[in-house]
Amino acid sequence: MTFLRAHRTIATVIAFVLAYVVIKVLNLADILNAYYIQLIMLAGINIVMTVSLGMVNGFTGQFSIGHAGFMAVGAYTSAMITTVWLHTSAANPLVAYPVFIAAVLVGGLLAAAAGYLVGAPSLRLKGDYLAIVTLSANELIRTVIRVTEVLGGPRGLGGIPKLTTLEIVFVFTILSVVLMRNYLFSSYGRSMKAVRDSEIAAEAMAIDTTRQKVFVFVFSAFFAGVSGGIFAHLLQFIHPDNFSFVKSLEYLIYLYVGGSTSISGAIVGPAIFTLLPELMRGLQAWRLVIYPLILILVMIFRTEGVMGLKEFNFILIPHRQRKEVSA
Amino acid sequence: MALLDVQHLTQYFGGLRAVSDFNIQLEHGEIVGLIGPNGAGKTTVFNVMTGVYTPTKGTIVFDGQNIVGKKTHQITQAGMARTFQTIRLFTKSSVIDNIKIAYHFRMSYSNTDAFLHTRKYWQGEQMVDDYAIDLLRLFHLEGNADDVSGSLPYGAQRRLEIARALATKPKLLILDEPAAGMNPAEADALMEMIHWLRDKFDLTILLIEHQMRVVMGVCERIKVMDFGETICEGVPEYIRNDPRVCEAYLGKGA
Repeated sequence: MTFLRAHRTIATVIAFVLAYVVIKVLNLADILNAYYIQLIMLAGINIVMTVSLGMVNGFTGQFSIGHAGFMAVGAYTSAMITTVWLHTSAANPLVAYPVFIAAVLVGGLLAAAAGYLVGAPSLRLKGDYLAIVTLSANELIRTVIRVTEVLGGPRGLGGIPKLTTLEIVFVFTILSVVLMRNYLFSSYGRSMKAVRDSEIAAEAMAIDTTRQKVFVFVFSAFFAGVSGGIFAHLLQFIHPDNFSFVKSLEYLIYLYVGGSTSISGAIVGPAIFTLLPELMRGLQAWRLVIYPLILILVMIFRTEGVMGLKEFNFILIPHRQRKEVSA
Repeated sequence: MALLDVQHLTQYFGGLRAVSDFNIQLEHGEIVGLIGPNGAGKTTVFNVMTGVYTPTKGTIVFDGQNIVGKKTHQITQAGMARTFQTIRLFTKSSVIDNIKIAYHFRMSYSNTDAFLHTRKYWQGEQMVDDYAIDLLRLFHLEGNADDVSGSLPYGAQRRLEIARALATKPKLLILDEPAAGMNPAEADALMEMIHWLRDKFDLTILLIEHQMRVVMGVCERIKVMDFGETICEGVPEYIRNDPRVCEAYLGKGA
């Protein structure tokens, strides 16, 4: 246990691998059918989307409401690459997977570039401008895709090879969460929180707040783009309306219900709210009443989200044992 | 050469002249006070010096370089650190993290090191943790290192804000009403601390203060402002007996 406490990254990985093994065993034992497996994969994608959104909204205190736009950039970019490149050789996994991974990363990079274009001018300003700009950018991206014939326009883009597997989702989720967690528990992560708590004081304490905000926004968009790529190769069909601002609002709900100032919250929120509607299927139309009711109750009784400021143990980086303090 | 040389500083907000033709020279190691009634423009002078506003007119030369037009974080990196009139700690961060945040610009690991938690990251974190705890110890805050800074009592928050400013390794420390809300005993301790700070950290200190006891007790030189103008300047005894200062505070005929 001491070893695990000292190596939290390994602990995080083990936590996820255990979850994977349980799900895989349940799947092989036919307790979880393919439909539930797909749902779990969606939950993984939503977790990465929400954790990356939390980096901007929760930890840096900037209100972005266009995260689905960056997801769309990643989804369409990677889908275009794989459909054009792989339509003949999709059968050969030795070719398909490297191309798929490269395509997803390119999608992430393009999303990051879009993030820079949106973030660099608007993050200089203090206040609510970012919300308006990101909302507009989201709709702009969606509309551009709608009118671009090569991307399938309003009909959507189909025939995407199904390359996303449960294993891929797990590896991708672990990597993304660990990378973002690491960043948060660093000097840069502390600067993010400083910007959130008091931008004036952060600036007075020699932090280049604009640069820090833009960097966080860009890598958050990168992870959204990568999620989009994984998402596209799971559903095999994407439509511009999949990425409207309503989708962005969904991620905001996941984030704030889970707890915006906690990585654990950004994991719990989407995990619950991706699976919950399905678990309530027996309630039929009533679930549409109960779902918002749960949201309202959580917001009333746990204003800071389910997790509040708390983190799961496997997320935290341990405090170093300090030499005993004595005056 | 003076550490700080401000010449003909003028600041307009629209049609309002908040500061007009303000001049000040600070020599290394001095403790200088800036006083005046509310609205005299003292905090505006601080804000212009630290890059919050760009002055309408005038030059500010700090440590040999012109800092007009520089951003606040660049000015702090050049060696000018400040505290705020109303305490502005990073209230949701721990006490020790407040210090570490101010140390951030001197940290040597990159974004990549932060994502991957490389050896460089761990070394950097260990080093900054040692540094921060040592600094907190000087301010008797080491016992609260892991508490949320917003939960500290008022006096401790004031001390932490000064400690945080020192973590940027300043040459000039600017204190905006450090004794605000303090009782006489606390104010006495503060006066002692200001002298100690100057000697221990080799600082030059410029402060705004309303408690005359503190200003007269600690400053070697005082500048008095009223309605954006400098009305008087000199050693404490001279200021105390100057009719213009009395007039500014109490009105004509007092």
